[in-house]
Amino acid sequence: MLELINIHKAFNNNQVLKGVSIKVKKGDVIVILGPSGSGKTTLLRCINFLEHADIGEIIFDDLRVNVKTASPGDISRIRKKTAFVFQNFNLFNNKTAIENITEGLIVARKIPKSEAVEIARRALNKVGLSDRENYYPSMLSGGQQQRVAIARAIAVNPDVILFDEPTSALDPELTGEVLAVMKQLAREGTTMIVVTHEMSFARDVANHIVFMDSGVVIEEGTPEEIFIHPREERTKQFLSRILPVEDYVI
Amino acid sequence: MELNVKFMIDTFFLALTGVPATLSITAAALIISAPIAFFMAISRIYNVKIIKQAVTAYVSFIRGTPVVLQILIIYSLLPSLFNTIIKSAGWNINVFDINPIIYAYIVFSLNTCAGLSEIFRSALLTVNKGQLEAALSIGMSPVQAYTRIIIPQALVSAIPNICNLTINLIKGTSLAFMMTVKEVTSIAKIAASYGYNYIEAYLDILIIYIILCSLVQILFALIEKYFGSYRAHPGSLAKAN
Repeated sequence: MLELINIHKAFNNNQVLKGVSIKVKKGDVIVILGPSGSGKTTLLRCINFLEHADIGEIIFDDLRVNVKTASPGDISRIRKKTAFVFQNFNLFNNKTAIENITEGLIVARKIPKSEAVEIARRALNKVGLSDRENYYPSMLSGGQQQRVAIARAIAVNPDVILFDEPTSALDPELTGEVLAVMKQLAREGTTMIVVTHEMSFARDVANHIVFMDSGVVIEEGTPEEIFIHPREERTKQFLSRILPVEDYVI
Repeated sequence: MELNVKFMIDTFFLALTGVPATLSITAAALIISAPIAFFMAISRIYNVKIIKQAVTAYVSFIRGTPVVLQILIIYSLLPSLFNTIIKSAGWNINVFDINPIIYAYIVFSLNTCAGLSEIFRSALLTVNKGQLEAALSIGMSPVQAYTRIIIPQALVSAIPNICNLTINLIKGTSLAFMMTVKEVTSIAKIAASYGYNYIEAYLDILIIYIILCSLVQILFALIEKYFGSYRAHPGSLAKAN
């Protein structure tokens, strides 16, 4: 469904992505792991052109886009097939929870307001925030804000949702409620690409794990392959540092 | 020394007839400057080549010269310049019949542009870039993202500074008397000059400016309260950590 081919991206002289290719099938939950600065977030942002990659191709169903020559129309089409959940939520502060969701539906997708409100209510219900629809972001906790952001992402009915460290800005107590929503989405067959440091999520929910370091994919495979039988020394090293000893063998 | 109370009261009402001119210069300067200042701010934020340098130079030029000097230069330069242009174009207009308030509009707009562009620039930067990205990520165009998400929030944080600028502008328009514009200050000064009742006239206009500026402050406070309602606890910064 979605394929990234040989994506390169540099910031000034700093080569962040050095030719990354990833294939995503419908219903996949792909988790991208790797140390800080390995290019995970940049890769995610290149998919919907929040960062403009330097070299590479993005294939989305029948849409084939060379990143170098991507037209604003191509970018807009790809953005309408994807949704993005940010580390810092990035809710619209001047809009209530429900308006945050209807905004994209009404303004970008020209859906009639009454229908948009209905979709937004369903999305809020899914993330368990029906009682907060008229709250402004400043009145919600971090976990609630991120759940509204997820509702905003699912409401536009994207083919794939991109999660960029969705729980990194939350304290451990609030992480759980966001992960629960994401697990629910995965169970319903939502296609997701998730950059995270939540190893339990990667292990239990992902069907495919991509391990990146210094701008390249070191190895990829099922959670079992990566967590139990990592082939690359770099992967073993990373996992041994990030996983508690008793977790290492499931 | 005794105040001529009757003169003072008469002049007060006489000077009030200059309020429309004072306010029209203020309003014209704000309305003319706002869109220009906005694009100046955007071109600086987005590093638009050449325009950015031009804007930066313009802002620092206006900031670096006294308004009085700008008035003197424009008021002595522009009429002759217009005259030459009109003469060579063969139009039958007498430049020296142009209402001097036009020159006031020009001077104060030039000034306000510079100040307002800096206010807009800092206000736009207060809205985190993430909200723009979020808007783009759900399919909104950059223009939609700006008009519906970024600008409304930026304006709210700009309100105190815009209020400040407006008040300075109102007070600054008193210099329009140098261009023989009949606004509050000039009317009072002329009335005072007949019988040397300057103290009374100055007290009159002092009261008028205080009233005008207070009304403007109240107006802006209401605007801020209305449009800033999404900020859960206005003024809670001191309490928050």
